[in-house]
Amino acid sequence: MTGDADESASSATVEDRREEWKGPVPVPSGANTEFWAATLEGELLYQHCEECGTAQLYPRAVCTGCGAVDPPFERSEGVGSVYTYTVCHVPGEPGFGDRTPYVVAAVDLAEGPRLLALVDCAPDAIEVGDSLEVRFWQVSDEAAVPVFVPA
Amino acid sequence: MAEPIVAGVAESDLGETPDRNWLDNAGIATVRALEDADLTLEDVDGVAVGGGDDYMPALVLAEYLDLEEPSLLEGTEIGGSSFENFCGHVGDAMARGRADVVVIAYGSTSKTGPGRDRSLEVTHPVDGFVRPTGLFRPPGAYAMAARRHMHEYGTTEEQLAEIAVATREWASMNPKAAQREPITVEDVLESRQIAEPFNLLDCCLVSDGGGAVVLVSEEKARELGVPEIAVAGVASTSTHRQDISEMPDMTTTGAAVTGPKAFDEAGISPDDVDVAQLYDSFSYTALVTLEDLGFCEKGEGGEFVEGGTTAPGGELPMNTQGGGLSYCHPGHFGVFVLIEAARQLRGDYTGDRQVDGAEVAVAHGTGGVLSSSSTVVLRREDA
Ligand SMILES: [Zn+2]
Repeated sequence: MTGDADESASSATVEDRREEWKGPVPVPSGANTEFWAATLEGELLYQHCEECGTAQLYPRAVCTGCGAVDPPFERSEGVGSVYTYTVCHVPGEPGFGDRTPYVVAAVDLAEGPRLLALVDCAPDAIEVGDSLEVRFWQVSDEAAVPVFVPA
Repeated sequence: MAEPIVAGVAESDLGETPDRNWLDNAGIATVRALEDADLTLEDVDGVAVGGGDDYMPALVLAEYLDLEEPSLLEGTEIGGSSFENFCGHVGDAMARGRADVVVIAYGSTSKTGPGRDRSLEVTHPVDGFVRPTGLFRPPGAYAMAARRHMHEYGTTEEQLAEIAVATREWASMNPKAAQREPITVEDVLESRQIAEPFNLLDCCLVSDGGGAVVLVSEEKARELGVPEIAVAGVASTSTHRQDISEMPDMTTTGAAVTGPKAFDEAGISPDDVDVAQLYDSFSYTALVTLEDLGFCEKGEGGEFVEGGTTAPGGELPMNTQGGGLSYCHPGHFGVFVLIEAARQLRGDYTGDRQVDGAEVAVAHGTGGVLSSSSTVVLRREDA
């Protein structure tokens, strides 16, 4: 499935949270099916176009750089830096009430794409530019959501 | 090129309207705006409807008002800036002789109406990457952009608060405004934390309500003898949709594109603007829009708003009805910035509430999570 992925990269931990997770659950479809399948194995995929070199997330059936169809997936190292973040004092989704205050960040992956993600850290333990690395919380039989922690 | 004229504007009742639904509020705003223009439902050639939490909203409102053979039906949904966006489309239709009287309408019961469906199975292909993060939207998304602006330019929470303070000062003169008690920067900083760096008073209020704007052709305007408030320039764009991480540069919005285009079309520069009605879903929304429209340099918005620049008597009167921060915010605030811009140009007010000799106004809408931008320049032609 990840023909171009760097097979030497180790997978991130996948914690089974299916019992306790009361929040939204992504339902895989179309171009993101492969992405979500890989999360169950602790792999963070992104798309890297062979034609023009564009690296992108979320997954799409077209390359936003050149229009190539089905740009192939590669495995991200799962590390990135905080482009920006907020601390939510009001829960934004069902199931997040007990978690407040919690951190959500826009994470710039080392490979380029930016990903919105929950950060599992104390609200005062984060700054713009901080290094983060990915973990996965399995929230359904079909998907594990990427959650970042300070690197 | 023929320019549409704003012939009438009105709000429905604002605040809490538990006995109304969104259509009632849109319908009431429509007939009031028509009355303001000395027109009736029979004169209406078309409707442009934003929001409405409904499928095919233009058809719903056209049916609700029992319009006869409407020739223009517009429902392009780009969030809070939809109404400014409509101004361009309506202008195009009028230039082609397809319509003479079009109502831009909005209605909502954001405060007392039924809440949003929050199903846990996220089948939307993009939202599946957003909702499981728990981000409180829209406030958290705007807060992330504000945080980045603070990081890059040294903008402070105190400077963001200045926007809320100045806006409240305007609201204190508006009997329709929900919040009229003057506030200080301290009050903003000490209000409840919502999504850092935003406190409660950095965030728009939530209300019910509706608004409508009647656009007519120049010919119709002369027939009616209304003050000629012309749509002199319009431009719209978007940078992303609901995922703030898709916004290429969170410190620069689409207004940096639409402002220059709309100003150019109107043949003006930011210096010519007498009064600005800029979408203020959050303090940061107005601050970054001031920069992007060119009222100050990029990154200097914080400094620009210090000392009451946008308050009554300030160099750039902004959000003179109290804005989304203090007057009303039923979800899509964009229709209200048009309404207030027109009223200021007509000279509807007295005393400090009226911007003296206002001839050029900018009404700017922002939609989604800083996602869409649409700028309208209104100009009083008989000035
Ligand atoms: Zn490509």
